[in-house]
Amino acid sequence: MRKLRRKKTNRSASAPAVTTIVVMRLYIANNAPNSVRAVANLEAICKEHLKDNFKLEIIDVLEYPLRALADGILVTPSLAKMSPSPAAKIIGNLSDKSSVLHALGIVEPVE
Amino acid sequence: MKPDLRVLVGNPRRPDAGSGLSAHILRLVKSTPERQAIASGQVDAVIDDATGKAFLLPDAQHALREDRTRVRGLLALTSDWCWEQDELHRFVSHTGAASGSSGIFDESIIGKTLRDPPFDSMSEADWRAHRRLLEWRAAFRELELRCTDRAGEMRSVSISGEPIFDEQDQFKGYRGTMRDITVRKQSEALAQKPLRLACDTLDALAVQLCVLDSAGTVILANKPAGAFATGGSGIGAVVPVGDNYLAVCDKARGNERVDGVAIAAEVRQVIAGDSPLFHHEYVCNSPAGRCRFSLTVTAFPGDGAARVVISRENVTERKRAERIPGNAAGRKSGERLPGPGHKVAEGDPIANSLLAALPGKDYQGLLAGFEPVTLTYGEVLFEPGEPIRHVYFPNDSLVSLLTTVEGHEALEVGLVGREGMIGISLVLGMDVSSVRALVQGTGTAMRMNVARFRRQFRKSLPLQGELYRYAHAMLVQARQTAACNRFHAVTGRLARWLLMTHDRARSDQFLLTQKFLADMLGVRRAGVTKAAGTLQQRKLISYSRGKISILDRQGLEAASCGCYEAVRNH
Repeated sequence: MRKLRRKKTNRSASAPAVTTIVVMRLYIANNAPNSVRAVANLEAICKEHLKDNFKLEIIDVLEYPLRALADGILVTPSLAKMSPSPAAKIIGNLSDKSSVLHALGIVEPVE
Repeated sequence: MKPDLRVLVGNPRRPDAGSGLSAHILRLVKSTPERQAIASGQVDAVIDDATGKAFLLPDAQHALREDRTRVRGLLALTSDWCWEQDELHRFVSHTGAASGSSGIFDESIIGKTLRDPPFDSMSEADWRAHRRLLEWRAAFRELELRCTDRAGEMRSVSISGEPIFDEQDQFKGYRGTMRDITVRKQSEALAQKPLRLACDTLDALAVQLCVLDSAGTVILANKPAGAFATGGSGIGAVVPVGDNYLAVCDKARGNERVDGVAIAAEVRQVIAGDSPLFHHEYVCNSPAGRCRFSLTVTAFPGDGAARVVISRENVTERKRAERIPGNAAGRKSGERLPGPGHKVAEGDPIANSLLAALPGKDYQGLLAGFEPVTLTYGEVLFEPGEPIRHVYFPNDSLVSLLTTVEGHEALEVGLVGREGMIGISLVLGMDVSSVRALVQGTGTAMRMNVARFRRQFRKSLPLQGELYRYAHAMLVQARQTAACNRFHAVTGRLARWLLMTHDRARSDQFLLTQKFLADMLGVRRAGVTKAAGTLQQRKLISYSRGKISILDRQGLEAASCGCYEAVRNH
């Protein structure tokens, strides 16, 4: 009986967004350890690199397995980037930050 | 929070489970990145393409079970029961260690609402407020209910709940926890007992008590104070809880202003810690009429909000009782003087020496006709040519006899104090005054109407003797004064006048303006200034702002003209 939905957007009528909004879906399995880790990792990455310019939907596959199958997801946790294209998919608890950024199409600033 | 934990195959805890599981997973998951993720332990669940169901991997399943056990354990620590209700607030499930033992929350609750058991601590209004909360689908916390259990004992429970919604955001009911708080409630009631006793004791006191915080706001008042607070205003009423005591005192008007300001200043000093204690007595109008209050301001010990305790007692009756015996000033007309055995002692307020010299029998005869009065400075008892209605025997007042001459200020021709009588011309058969009698020193005197005085005078030979002698002395004084005013220097005359006043006033200090002295002596003010300056230089008197103090009486006698001696010998 659980459905997690976290949506964040800064779209507002007065100031149309000039930055691209990254739309993602994160598939998890309830409070299982890797799922919890994946949510935390993704939130940290979004906060650092995307600020408010993202839209994230978190889907619990124990509740909604068919939604995962519809997106071609077989294992959780999995992160699917829907837009901007190209679509991308990354599997695991998202602890490898650089591969997540790569999949999301974010260029890491040179230190 | 009840995830559907479907196990893939067999028991994951069994040692052979791992291999069988791996084979099954490998069949389901064919692509390399997914298999790698599974191998590195980063995957929690796999979805079966064929059945459309998600399966937890053993580690994830184990972790979720642990998680649930932990939550349940914590829940058991903080509450006795967990419950769920449907959309109509009927209980559909309940679990808990204490279930069934107390008889208030057992199987019988299923299908009932919270209002069905005989909870008696909630009024209709309370239920209405609670129902409104439920209609808003709001969470509620620590709703305390009381009821009687099967054993007939009173039990208290505390209930908290939150609404449940399905995935379409449809309201599905409430779920929450419940705690048995009977023991806590009982101990709370026990703990309140001494407190209630203390409060009752304060209320039973006759003294009005209130406690102020650092800003002067009343934070506590006992019942007598509360009863007083309901009526009246100003400093006579007690300030109710929540109002500012200092503000009320500062706002006092009219006669109460001086006391109000004084009390406020005292309270502020005690709050500031400058003084530990203050007493103040004042008279004012109060809801109980005109009262005298004794007010005590005490610093409150400790560092709490309370800073000052003010206790106030109505002492009107006590003061009245204290004042009656032996105090002529407080005596009402019609009250009697001390009886025949009474001796006029030094320092006694009834100290007229003419009366004191009379034998007991004659004195007693006069007593019934006497009326004690207070003569105040500036009061005129007779004017020249007016009929005399009363005679006066001063105790501690001082009266000047003045003669007026056309075109001039009045001139003093005699001074009467406790050694004499005003209205002496009656003794000589004249009932019209030839002088103005002006009160010069406030004090008390015995008064008697003329008819009664005549009767007593005819009857009493000792009184006649005393008064004739006094009349003669007055005559001498007038003659001497006339001569003195004509021939003697102002300094000597001033010294004489001060000595005469000193004899009669019983005090080393008098309040006299230069203008008054000039009138008395029949000289200009400059003359008085010069004469007073001379006496002051010789350190016989001190004179400032109308206050004269006699410093050296013998020196003053030496400085006076011989007239003082001449008059005193009579």
